[in-house]
Amino acid sequence: MNYLFHILIMLCIYGILALSLNLLIGYSGLLSLAHAAFYGIGAYASTLLMVKLGLNFFPALILGIFISGSLALLIAYPSLRLKGDYFVLASLGFQLIVFSILYNWIGLTRGPYGIPGIPRPTIFGFEFNSITSYFILSAGIFSLVFVFIRHLCQSPFGRALKSLREDEIAARVMGKNVPLLKVWTFIIAGGLAAISGALYAGYVTYIDPTSFTLDESIFIITIVLVGGSGNLKGPLAGVLFMIILPEALRFIGLPDTIAPNVRQMIYGLLLILLMRYRPQGLAGEYRLE
Amino acid sequence: MDNRKAILKILNLTKSLEGLKVVDSVSIDIARGRITGLIGPNGAGKTTLFNLISGLLRPDKGEIWFEDKRIDTLPSWQIARAGIGRLFQDIRIFRKLSVLENILLADPNHPGELPLNLFFNYRNIARIEQKHLESAEYWIEFVGLEGKKDSPAGSLSFGQQKLLAIARLLAGGHKFLLLDEPTAGVNPAMIKSLLNLIQRIVKGGKTVLFIEHNMNVVLKIADWVYFLDEGRVTSFGRPEEVLGDTEVRKAYLGV
Repeated sequence: MNYLFHILIMLCIYGILALSLNLLIGYSGLLSLAHAAFYGIGAYASTLLMVKLGLNFFPALILGIFISGSLALLIAYPSLRLKGDYFVLASLGFQLIVFSILYNWIGLTRGPYGIPGIPRPTIFGFEFNSITSYFILSAGIFSLVFVFIRHLCQSPFGRALKSLREDEIAARVMGKNVPLLKVWTFIIAGGLAAISGALYAGYVTYIDPTSFTLDESIFIITIVLVGGSGNLKGPLAGVLFMIILPEALRFIGLPDTIAPNVRQMIYGLLLILLMRYRPQGLAGEYRLE
Repeated sequence: MDNRKAILKILNLTKSLEGLKVVDSVSIDIARGRITGLIGPNGAGKTTLFNLISGLLRPDKGEIWFEDKRIDTLPSWQIARAGIGRLFQDIRIFRKLSVLENILLADPNHPGELPLNLFFNYRNIARIEQKHLESAEYWIEFVGLEGKKDSPAGSLSFGQQKLLAIARLLAGGHKFLLLDEPTAGVNPAMIKSLLNLIQRIVKGGKTVLFIEHNMNVVLKIADWVYFLDEGRVTSFGRPEEVLGDTEVRKAYLGV
């Protein structure tokens, strides 16, 4: 049972990451390699606020969202001037900078030693320390995020984002303030990724920088590309597939010595096949050009 | 022409692309509430001039004034909000969005496109959306696409896509319209109603500047005509005069 709840909690954490990255990839057409950086910023910001300032989980979470959203402005700014591949490189730079700050600013983050003993969230004296209760908390937060994103995507704002993804020139001539729309998308995607960070930190009660590497960014991108982008069901299909697949592969009885390698190979093969035969992903409607 | 009536003034505009002077010291006044045609051979700089007016290109030299505002330094979205709308030659509808969504995007100044308004000004946004929905229904019916409201715009035939682009432009409520070859690819029966439509909206107070290759269309609806050749204005006047000009006939019509 614990195993099942663990997977469900992971689905919630990665669900938020995939849905928020989808705002960038699927709605603004921007491939960002920095999503794990915002995930990490959220995890570290909320953790430090709890451990150093003794804040409760929920106010720390909300401050973490604002901190991450504000830092998203840093990458939003170059994105306004850069297109395509150059933007991807800029986001890569941001990812690497954030990782090395987390790794090297030992006075603040304890660097590679990580931060142990992160308190579990509590509300009105109730502590979410059983796995079942943590799942309920994660599912609740995931649902709120889902409703928020759905509201956003169906709003005039979401429609304007889709228009600039389809044809930026037409959107500009129709009065869409393209730079401002992109900046807002960054702020929102960065802020939402921070929620996953805080949830993750509160769940495993220990964080170190290796959870927020470039590899993690690529993993989140893979989720969105496998599932498909541009709508809400695509990224969620991707999360189901990419989180449950490795668990399923455990049961086919590969010898432990080769299992991780074989799993990596299966991922790689799946990605290649998908890009060849179904470039819009399992359930997406937008294809990154 | 009486300059005080000019809604758009272009002064000495020059633009080079890849070393070639595509627009060369062009000065143009567009009369308010009139239909002005822009004609000339391919490569004369007509579409480049449109790109300069709508802010997609920056001029090397010269100025563009719209009403009392200098617009050649503004970004495209501000020019659109100032009241200039554009029909593209290659249509540029949002192919994966539905017909309805395309038209709902027409408002150049929709407050609901800013996320903060969505949460703090929700009632007002909902009211505006409702109004837009009603006007979108009107425009969809106006161009005869009722049955296609929820179809992706890319699934329409070329003629229908053009109608959608026109409906989208009109739903934007701009007072000045740039039409790049509005009749190209439209069947003759449709051309007639399209021209009626253009004349009707101009009677309603709008101003139109259009690029056109079909001289019958120019003769029929234009009040004034500019002839552009190799980036320069070489003739201006009433349509009959310009089309009667021997230089124009030689350069353009080959007779």
